[in-house]
Formats: sequence, structure tokens, C-alpha cells
Amino acid sequence: MEKNPDKGYIALLGWSLAAVEAAETFDRRYVVVAPNWAEEYCEKHNIPYVPWNFERLNDRSIEIAETLRDMGVDVAVPLFEETVEWAGAINSVLLQSPRLYGQSLLLRDKALMKRRAQLGGIRVGIFEEAHDKEDVIRFLKRVNQTLLKLDGDPNDPIHLKAFDKAGCLGHRVIRTPDEVDSIPDEEFPVLMESHLDGWEFAVEAWVHNGKIAFLNISEYVSLGYSVFVPASPELEHYRPQITAQIEKLIKAFDIEFGLIHPEYFVTSDGEMYFGEVAYRPPGFKVFELLERVYGFNAYQATMLVFDPKASAEEVQQFFPREVEDANGYAGCFGVSPRRRVVSRLEIPEEVEDDPYFESHELTPPVEETVTKRTAFGTHWGLVYFRGEDPLRLRDLLKHQEELDYYI
Amino acid sequence: MDKLPGLLDNLDEATRLLADARDFAKPGKLPRVLDTARRVLMQPGGCAALESRAEGLERAGIFLGSDWATPSILVPGLTAQALSSGDSNLLVTEALSELRLLAVALGGYQHPTLAAEQAHHFLTQVIALNLPLLFGPPSEAERETQGRLAQIPRSLMQYLVERIGYEHVMDQLVEEIWRILQQRPIQVDTVKQMITQIAVLQSNPEVDLGTSGQGASRLVSSLFGPTRGCREDPGLDTYRERLQSMDSNALQSEATGFARAMHDTGLVSPYLPVLLHHVLGESDHLVAEALGVSATGRDCLLCFRDLVHDLIRAGIHPETAQAAYGLALLLDRGILHQAPLAPALRRQLVLPLTDWSRARLTLAFGSSVSAETHLLAGVLCMLGQPLGIGQGNNPTCQSARALSMWGCIDPDYLLQMVAWAARDDEIIMHFEGQPISSMASLSGVATQLPIDLDAVSLLVVPHLDRIYAEMGRRCIGREGDPHRWINPEFHGWWAGRGFRINVDVASGQLVDLEGFLRHFYANYHIDYNGNQPLIHPQPAGIAITDSACRFIGWHAICILRVDRDPKDEMRVYFYNPNNDSGQDWGDGLQVSTAGNGERFGEASLPFGQFASRVYIFHYDPLERIDPSVVPAAELEDVQARVLRSWGADRSPATAAALQASQGNPG
Repeated sequence: MEKNPDKGYIALLGWSLAAVEAAETFDRRYVVVAPNWAEEYCEKHNIPYVPWNFERLNDRSIEIAETLRDMGVDVAVPLFEETVEWAGAINSVLLQSPRLYGQSLLLRDKALMKRRAQLGGIRVGIFEEAHDKEDVIRFLKRVNQTLLKLDGDPNDPIHLKAFDKAGCLGHRVIRTPDEVDSIPDEEFPVLMESHLDGWEFAVEAWVHNGKIAFLNISEYVSLGYSVFVPASPELEHYRPQITAQIEKLIKAFDIEFGLIHPEYFVTSDGEMYFGEVAYRPPGFKVFELLERVYGFNAYQATMLVFDPKASAEEVQQFFPREVEDANGYAGCFGVSPRRRVVSRLEIPEEVEDDPYFESHELTPPVEETVTKRTAFGTHWGLVYFRGEDPLRLRDLLKHQEELDYYI
Repeated sequence: MDKLPGLLDNLDEATRLLADARDFAKPGKLPRVLDTARRVLMQPGGCAALESRAEGLERAGIFLGSDWATPSILVPGLTAQALSSGDSNLLVTEALSELRLLAVALGGYQHPTLAAEQAHHFLTQVIALNLPLLFGPPSEAERETQGRLAQIPRSLMQYLVERIGYEHVMDQLVEEIWRILQQRPIQVDTVKQMITQIAVLQSNPEVDLGTSGQGASRLVSSLFGPTRGCREDPGLDTYRERLQSMDSNALQSEATGFARAMHDTGLVSPYLPVLLHHVLGESDHLVAEALGVSATGRDCLLCFRDLVHDLIRAGIHPETAQAAYGLALLLDRGILHQAPLAPALRRQLVLPLTDWSRARLTLAFGSSVSAETHLLAGVLCMLGQPLGIGQGNNPTCQSARALSMWGCIDPDYLLQMVAWAARDDEIIMHFEGQPISSMASLSGVATQLPIDLDAVSLLVVPHLDRIYAEMGRRCIGREGDPHRWINPEFHGWWAGRGFRINVDVASGQLVDLEGFLRHFYANYHIDYNGNQPLIHPQPAGIAITDSACRFIGWHAICILRVDRDPKDEMRVYFYNPNNDSGQDWGDGLQVSTAGNGERFGEASLPFGQFASRVYIFHYDPLERIDPSVVPAAELEDVQARVLRSWGADRSPATAAALQASQGNPG
């Protein structure tokens, strides 16, 4: 697409084909910053590219910021959790705003993040850091004591998450001290949280000039399995409260621009609990679902709100009206094999015949024996659905958990 | 509810997304197109909808970066494999490609690189090769690997044949059947099915065959009515009654009729065993006439009269009619005069089978006659047509080759193998003095037990395969290619202990190509080896290439003889354990199976062309040869052929390290 030299020049941090594709068809100049293995591919397909290996920040990190600055790049957009602090560091140089780096560190560490939220007057559950298995057992006991459980009562579970990994990666649920043994030592340190019984949802909010430009609520049907957008009317009913929560978050973290992706619980009494927030595109292909129902490309939206040269009018015109402009509901389900031994992929007939079923990205099994599922987010591929009725879509997504895709 | 319109909307949208994507993004958009197309294919009217969208689909880029993007290099023979694949993307891409060819063939789509005639020709071959798909439900194997997908190749073939018209396919089909029969395979079930279908079509007034299918009459009659007494296919019982009232003249005419049909086609009518049993013990003359044997065969028949009668009684029934052809050729080969053979066949007649052997035979052939009968029939076929052995759809070329070699020059050893396998469930071979038991060896090259084989291979190949794999395991750690040691130990003393290979096993690079070829010529080419014809068949390794000259894999074949063909060109005649030897190896190398001096079951290539695909050969190091007599000019052309095909990225100039040791030859 014809690039407009009056608009921003954007660096994409990390390799994402979908982001490159979006950048290609957007009116901004762009460059991909990615490890050397992407070089051959970028050269072959004529994709603007600067090599960089994103390891720990070190003395040489200034080089990439200077390289991009000398190229005339205006802003860096992080595409993955691992590049969030890089974007902070680079943008603090490009935009001459040192606090951006500090902000990115807050957004990278789940324990720091919770404390900051707490300080900002946002409700969070009980949480603690664990450095070894002992810590986990102690936390599990204490949480359940707090809940006035007696010995022999089934425990309430606790959740373990890596400090600095995206979404569901490394997410475990622990119910008994025995299960603690199954955690490999190299996963420590981790963040532990009490379990909240409630309705979990995520938000994708595009922020420009410190204000929400577009707010999507993604409804989880089952965490780690399925999600759909826009949320059902029951959850959308909370939109004013949710918007107020996001505004609090923007203030607490002092966010001027960018895409934030927080997760919340809403408990049965209507109280919102903050889970965590990420400063990057969500996993689970929510961007694709949004494009399916709203028609705008969420990667382009992200580049737009990051661009310091974007005007308020352009941003306003870019986004559709929330919920009202959505054409139906779109959801996806992450398939995991239910059997221990599988020989082939076969989409269940009832799914294939369902008018809501659209497509899937499952591949035939490479091995016959299925590794036991230990953590969330280890599905074998997604199945996409779309339809007019959010409740029917939700039931359909839920029902997928009982079906065999691999037999 | 008709789902097709909704699916087509979905498909059109997916196609548009693919078309709009830049090249690098296309692979991400493709799965949805293929998956939606799969669902369209499963709907009534789906094929037609896709035919009309073929041009748009191809332009959107569904074939980009694959072989299908260059339709001129596609090989009809490979379609069967794609269509039987359990990988739905492969299957659907193949189906879409064929529907595209259909659009091109019928003029709906002007293709930039493919003419309508080419497309038409390709499709007729595809249909001919996949004809079994037109008839009958999916087999157990298809159900197992494809599930509901098995419906797609069927409705596709149905649609293709309706659009192309039966009359176009018929001639191709008949020609194809003749080409396969000229190789005289032992397994003819598929051929018989095709002929049966032709017979059904010919008698169906609703199918207009035009003037086509004339050449089919010999095929149909050889199976269903080769003689006057059974011309109208009256059924076995009626025929048996008719025989009672025939005089010797009539019986004589029946016998010659059967023999002529059998030797014409390699197919045996189920009526022939009825005649054989009728005249058995009455007239050896008529037995010899019905089998159509030569003077040698007649001599063997009379010398071993009782044995032959017992073999016919026990092994040749309407269900195992093909064994009559095996017996006829066995007699003609004169091998009954080898001292151990008659007693070995006596043992075979009373050989007890283990439960496992019996179960395997029953699973493969059913139980309308006993497992013993099937095995005996298989033995007769193998001794009569040792070059008709096929490896089926299994990576067991080594074992098939060994059986064939033994059938050719060591038939009593072959019978020994059958006895061990069928009676004991164990074969023991020795490797460098150490016994190797097929029972103790863990696994073979094939990961699952083959089922699509002749009766003898069915029982013996699993054992041989495990022993072969075990010999390979015992060579782990040795430098160079293990076949140097395995081949002579596995096949027999007559496989040369001298060994040459032109690929460095560690790097995959060619080594001393000229020296290798010079040595090959000096050993095998009768102009340069002192006019010495090959004495024993020799195992050799071939680098198989496809019709576009690309390397496919290593393959075991057997060099049978080197001789001048009728046009005075020096050729190598060899046995290829593949089921169909008539393959196109690219660069003009069309392996011939008939018309260039081949005996039944032999494949052949001009000497230089053959040499350009050899990567391993054996020789007797004590034979005096003089490699310097081979003129350099002869070798230059061969080297160029190597470097143009499988050796392209293996010359020392290029650094690509392909592992020569990867995988076993199959």
C-alpha cells in the first residue's frame, strides 16, 4: 500500500506474520525488528527489516534505539510479552520520555503490577511470590485457613503463574500439596494467587492521548479453552463499570497511548477484581475475532494509537462503535486431544454441520501418544465459530469441551 | 437443509482473503480455503461448484509453491496415493487440482501453461488408475486412514468420469490393463476388478461407450469365457455339467482355448481349474494342453506326474485359478529337475500351518478355500513368476527382491523359507557367523504388518524384514554403507563381496563418480568385460528420481542381465520390486517393460541411462577386469545425467550435506 510520509514510521518488535501483513496494507511506513532467523524470509519477500536478538537488556541495548532513531522511526510497538520492556526502552529514547521505560517494567512483572494496581485503588485477590515449593505449600494452606476450611475439606485451588510470560503460558492450578511436586524447579520464582470464583473476562483497550479510543470485552467461556467477542449482553451490561475500571488502570499506570489487555474477574456481587494487564496484543487470536465482527484490523489499530503523529480525528474515524457496529459474534475454541492415543484428526460431524462453524486451523497428529496436559494454553489449534446469537455461541463453545477432534 | 450455498459463501470469502494476501501471507490463509473446500466436496453438487471456481482458486494461489502449480509435471500415477491419503489438505488439494484440469480440459478455463488436450489426457489416466474408486464402498484400509474423507475421492471420480465420458476412459483403461499385465504380476486382483467393471459397463445399455473398448473383449473373455464351452459365462456348475457330455475333440478344443487365453493375458479364468480337475487322471495330454506348456514343461509334467496331479488337486481351484499359470510356467522352467525341488514341494503339500499363519492368510484372502490352498497356490505362482513379486504399499523392497532372486535361482531355498515361516513362525539367518532370529528381532523397516501381498510374501516378508533390519542394526558404527555387508549375507553367496558406492554416507556427497561408473561398466557391460554375460542376478541400489528429475529415495533392485535389445542397443534388464516397473525417472529415462526385448516381469533401460541412477553395486573382486578399456566419452554423458538429476546438489562443489544414510531403501 502507498505509504504516507506525513504519518508515523513504526517499528514492530518481534516477528508476527499477521502484524507484518497488517502493516503492509496500512498507510504507515514500518520496519520489522526481529532475530536473524527472520532475515532470509524478509529479504525474500521484500519486508523492511532490522536484525535484533531480544535477550536481556544490556549495555548494547541503546544501539537498537539509536539505529531506529537514525532511520527516522517514530515509535516502537511491542508484539510479544518479551518485547514489552524493549519497546519501553526504545520509546523512551525515540519519544524522549524516560518514564516510559519504568512503566514498561511495571507491566512486565506480575507481582509489581499487582502492587501498583493496589496502590491505584484497584481491587486484587490475595497474591504472593514463591521462590520454592515450600512457599507454595505454605500459601495454599494459609489461603484455605483464611477461608475457614477444616482439615479434610476440599481445598480451594490457588493459581501459579510465571512472572514474565504471556497469558496462559506456565499457568498451573494447584489444589493439594501433592500437586506441588509436579512443578519443575526451573519454573520458580512464580506468582501465586488465590482462586476467585467468578466470571473471568479480558479487555482490549486502545488508548490514545490518555483516553480510551475503543474498548472490547472478550468473554471467556472456559479459561484457556474458548473466548468470544463482543461479550454477551449479560456481561456487556457491566460496560460502564468496566470502563471506569480501565480508566483507573490507565491512571494508575500513567498510560498515554497504546494497547492494553487486562484481565478481570467479576464476582457474583458485581465486584471487579483485577487479574493482570499486558501491554501487547492478546493471544488466542482475539484480533482475528475482532476483525471478523467489526471489520477493522486490530494490528493497524495498535499501530495507529502508538503513532505520535496520529490525530484525534483519525483515531476517532478509524474505530467503529462498540457492540452496535458488530456484525454478529465470533468465537474460537482451543482443541486439546481427549484421548491418550490418537491416530487422526476428524472434525466431529455435528460441528461440521453447525451453521456457526466457520473454519479451523488444526493439523493432523504427528505423534500417536498424547502428552499429558499440565498447564493451560497448550491446545493443538483453534476452531472458529460465528453466529448471531451470543448465548447459542457460548453454549456451542462450551459443548466443544466434550467432543473428540482427535480419534 | 441445503448447506452448499452457505459453504460456498464461506469459500468465496476465504478465497478472496487468500487472493488479497501478499505471497508471504498466503500460507496462513490457505488452510481455511482447503478446509472449506473439503466441506464443499462432501456436499452433493460440490464438485461442480468447485469446477466452476477452479480458475479463481488457482489465481488466488492455492497451488503456489507446490508441484500442483506446474500441472505439466504432474504424474497421474501419484494421484492414487494423494487421493487415499488421510491428510485432508493433501487430498483436497489433489481433488481441486483435478477439478481445475477438468475445467481446462472442457474449455471453461484457458490455462497459461496447460493445453486442454493435455489436461484431458491426464484426467483419463487419473480415472483409469483410480477406477476402483468408482465401484464399491471404501475398503477397511481406507476407512481406517481416511474416515469420512473416503467419500471425497469417490464422488470426485464419479464426477470426473461423468464429465469426461466413459468412452474416453475405456481405451486408456484397456491399454493400461494390458501394460500392467505385460509385466505378469502375481497379484492380479485389482486388474480383475477393473476388467469386471468393464464387462459390467459393456452390458449396461445406459452407458454409451461409442466405439471404444474394443480391445477389452480379449480381457473380458479371458476371465469370463475363454472357450466355446463357457463363452456366455454360464457359471461353474453348469460348465462342470457340460464337460461331462463333451467328447475328446471338444475337450481338446476347450483345453487349447484356455491355454491360449492364459498365455495371452497372464490371467486365468476360474473355469480352467474345473476343466483341469475333470481331465486329471484321465488324460495327461489334456492337462498339458490346458496348461499350454512347451516341450520342457510336458517333459516335467510326465516325469513328475503324481506330484503335479497332487499340486493341481490341492492348490488349483476356481478361487486360486491364477496358480494354473504359475504351475504352467514352473513346469516350463524345468526346475522340477533340480533334485531338492520335488521333495520340497511334497513337504509343502502337507505343511502344517501355525495359527498365526493361518490367521494372516484368512484375513487377506478369506476362507472360501483353506489357508493351505492359498499358500500352495502362492508358492506355485512364485516359482512360476519370480519376477512378478510386488512389494505392495510397503517399504520392504529388500525382502521382495530377496524372494524374487531365490525364486529365480534358488527355488528350494525359497521353499525352505516358506516352511520355516509358515510352520515355525520363525526364520533364522546367519550374519557373519552369528544367528539372527526373526522372532528375537524387535522391529523391521515396515512399521505395520503388510497385508496387500501375495500369499508367500504375506507370511515370509515380515520375518525377512525384521532380519534385514537387525542386520542393519548390527552394522551400526561401521564406516560406510551397511549394504556392503548385508546384501551378500542376506541374499546368498552369489551376491558379490566386492562393493562400490558413489555417495559418501556421512556427507551425502558424490565420491569418485567417474571411477565408480568406469568400474560398473567394466564389470557389467559385455563390450568391456570380455563378453561375459551376468551369471547370477546381482543386488544393486538405485537413486530413484521422479519425472521432474528430483531425488525421491534409495531403492533396492536386482540386475538380471545385460544384453543387446532387438534394435542392437545395449540394455540393462532388471527386476524392480515395485508393483509397476514402468516408471518415468525424468530426463528422458522412461523405464520400459515391454517391446525392448524384456522377458515378462523385467524392466529395462539403455545401459548408460541405467548407470546414471545406480549408486550401489556388487561385483566379484576376483574377476579380472580392466576399467581402463571403458572410453571416457561414454562415461561423460552418464556423469552429466547424474549431475542433472539426483546428483545435482551432491557434487562436491555444493555444500548441501544430504545424509545418504537416512532411512532404509524402500
